[in-house]
Amino acid sequence: MDRRVAITGMGLISPLGDSSDSLLEALCQGRSGVRPVELSCLNGYQCHLAGRLPGFRPESYLFGRPLRPLDRMSQLACAACGLALESSWWTAENRALHDLPLVVGTMFGGMHTIGDFDRAAITSGPASVSPMAFANTVIHAAAGQTAIWHNLRGANSAVAAGSISGISAVGQAAAMIRQGRAEIVLAGGVDEFSVESFCGCSRAGVLCTNGAHSERPIPFDRYRNGFALGEGAGFLVLEEFTYARRRGASVLAEVQGYATAFDCSQGNDPEIAVRTLVRAMRTALTRSGMSYRDIDFVSASGNGSLTRDCYELAALDTVFGDRAKELPVTAIKCGTGEAMGASGPFQIAVALETIKRRRLPGVTGLRELPPGCRMQGISANPRTLQARNAIINGVGLDGNCCSLVIASLD
Amino acid sequence: MPHRTANREAANKTKSGRVVVTGMGVVTSIGIGREFFWQRLMSGCSGIKEVSSFDTSKFPVHKGAEVSDFYPADYICKLCPDEIGRASQFAVAAARLAVLDADLSITESEADNFGVVVGTTSGEPRVIEHFDDHFVVGHIERINRNFVSRYPCHVLAAHVACELGLGGEVVTIPTACAAGNHAIVHAFDELSSGQAEIMLAGGADSFSRITYTGFARLGAIAPEVCQPFDLKRKGMIPGEGSAFLLLETLDHARNRSARVYAEVAGYGLSCDAHHMTAAHPQSQGAVRAMEIALTSAGLGPGSVDYISAHGTGTPTNDRLETVALKRVFGKHASQVPISSIKSMLGHAMGAASAIEAVACVLAIAQGCVPPTINLVNPDPECDLDFVPLTGRKQKVNVALNNAYAFGGNNSSVVFAQCEAR
Repeated sequence: MDRRVAITGMGLISPLGDSSDSLLEALCQGRSGVRPVELSCLNGYQCHLAGRLPGFRPESYLFGRPLRPLDRMSQLACAACGLALESSWWTAENRALHDLPLVVGTMFGGMHTIGDFDRAAITSGPASVSPMAFANTVIHAAAGQTAIWHNLRGANSAVAAGSISGISAVGQAAAMIRQGRAEIVLAGGVDEFSVESFCGCSRAGVLCTNGAHSERPIPFDRYRNGFALGEGAGFLVLEEFTYARRRGASVLAEVQGYATAFDCSQGNDPEIAVRTLVRAMRTALTRSGMSYRDIDFVSASGNGSLTRDCYELAALDTVFGDRAKELPVTAIKCGTGEAMGASGPFQIAVALETIKRRRLPGVTGLRELPPGCRMQGISANPRTLQARNAIINGVGLDGNCCSLVIASLD
Repeated sequence: MPHRTANREAANKTKSGRVVVTGMGVVTSIGIGREFFWQRLMSGCSGIKEVSSFDTSKFPVHKGAEVSDFYPADYICKLCPDEIGRASQFAVAAARLAVLDADLSITESEADNFGVVVGTTSGEPRVIEHFDDHFVVGHIERINRNFVSRYPCHVLAAHVACELGLGGEVVTIPTACAAGNHAIVHAFDELSSGQAEIMLAGGADSFSRITYTGFARLGAIAPEVCQPFDLKRKGMIPGEGSAFLLLETLDHARNRSARVYAEVAGYGLSCDAHHMTAAHPQSQGAVRAMEIALTSAGLGPGSVDYISAHGTGTPTNDRLETVALKRVFGKHASQVPISSIKSMLGHAMGAASAIEAVACVLAIAQGCVPPTINLVNPDPECDLDFVPLTGRKQKVNVALNNAYAFGGNNSSVVFAQCEAR
């Protein structure tokens, strides 16, 4: 018999709040978490915008034990996982009886922790560094720290696939359940804003500039000029459907199909780039047993990138054909920034909330779609939408693409 | 326990979607390429020498297991070797060697379902080390424009895919010293569930100042030699390299009449959820990983003929791994040959368990087991058959590969003679 995958819990720490409810509300109001950043070492850089967490205080989420061994990445992951476990009633007592697996998606890992550790050794000598800091320099440190904090003794994995890492982790977790490897998996992603990622992206010229046009990145806008980095963490509790029902958990939605594909041209050949994303979406639909006609809205990967946004529009046009003109599409990175590993979980959270509250956020700030774009269902304003099935896209900078289909139960 | 039932179901599924190893490529401190590597490994060669990647004068230790005589342009044709990091160079080379070894030509129609999974500890550490060198002196403008397309660890898998033209799932699994096993496990799941037909799975890491600094600070690096399970063992020795296994469904391999080295029979993963750097004092997680692996393979402890130990050479690891092996294998523990090839290769980090997986597969295919070198005075607390000093000819039907990582991460993978099942 086919094993179905239910979403039974959700936890997130985003630039626009720590619940899917507050995130949807903020996006529908057109609020943005992307703001000017002040870092003393950044003189001379054009872009000074980022979607940072306003005053994240780990002690508001994590109690009873010293926080000192956890770096900020781990704190974010632990906090979001705690919220997810709480929302699905996986209490400490329940966790003691089951070996819960954890899959953490991340693009940069603890790059700032790693850099700090290295720089301390350069300036003060290798004998001066902290052994406790070294433990956090492994890229999957957040996965290990979260397992220790929440007593998760099942398989402990990490997924790195650029900015699609978070959706990939969820896709991998769904596969573990479908294949009978686990009854429950905690999965999601985490990434933090850091001076390293900011300098790196800035030097690569992919970030938006806060020049004449706008104070924020505007996905799919004709005059967009790049993305803004975001940060945060988002985790889902996935369970085998009958298992979830048997223990009386409330099912928020079902993960239908997931597919990933790789663009060997890494975005340098538009035709291959579009074809790759088309393949990911079509395979995800096939694996869901759905046609493009069954999809009620799209949570796009679009983040304001000059090239990737264009590819995604063309791919949506191809996949949705005669529906392209009316298909509702949202792109939440106008409000959160490109939160990398956390982006996918944010998109899923907003999609769940859209289905529940029948409101689809708009792409705030959007004035004009690129010339020739038929996707008139992309709008600057929120709208009322009765939806059941959604497709969530991820398009990375280095060729990684993926699509995930979720469906509500009724 | 729910996971037991789940594993049984998975085991049943595996029989219809069997996964086999048909190609292997290695880049190590003792040699490059499957045949040369195996010859050097069986004769007990060591890749450990003075560190040359960076100045170790400020460190109390100076030894490492670096790859020498490696010319990236020999293996990297499509990408520009100078534009990718050293770990990517290793990964691309090992992956290409694995494809060659499997005698596989990648057709365009198949490329879309052909994926690659790479395990790693540090990704491209030299890229961030270079960043840090400029950053500490305030020269941000000298930071490479390509920093962000070279550093994040997903580029390891992406570079392999770009070089070989692969369009399937392309992902890096950064679970440190257990990462090679994790990559094999991930590819195995994709293949056995029918999501893909061919996958490259392996691990890669380059010698890293950051890693060396950390292990030196923990006092975990041995001053001269790596001598796992020896009474006088003084620690591990950092290394580098890469290994890839070409995995296919058995049907796919048969259809193209491929040579089959061995089958991936099952696996077990677990987490101690105890401490970031110290193993669980009763080895609970390691025991559970081995037990789940054997159950998922449908095998009892008595059927295991060879174990590749994690065997880092640190006092604690080797003692606790012995405890775990005894708990899982009971009386059989003293009958099964167990070796740590880290005695020769040092600890190649994320590549280690991928290289050790190659050793397991070759033990099955060649009918011999590699030695644990430098094991002169066995530790009474490590009183199992660790194949001291010299390798042996011996029939191996089933081999178990153990790897453990920071974060209490435990992984065990079972390989088996394909005909034997």
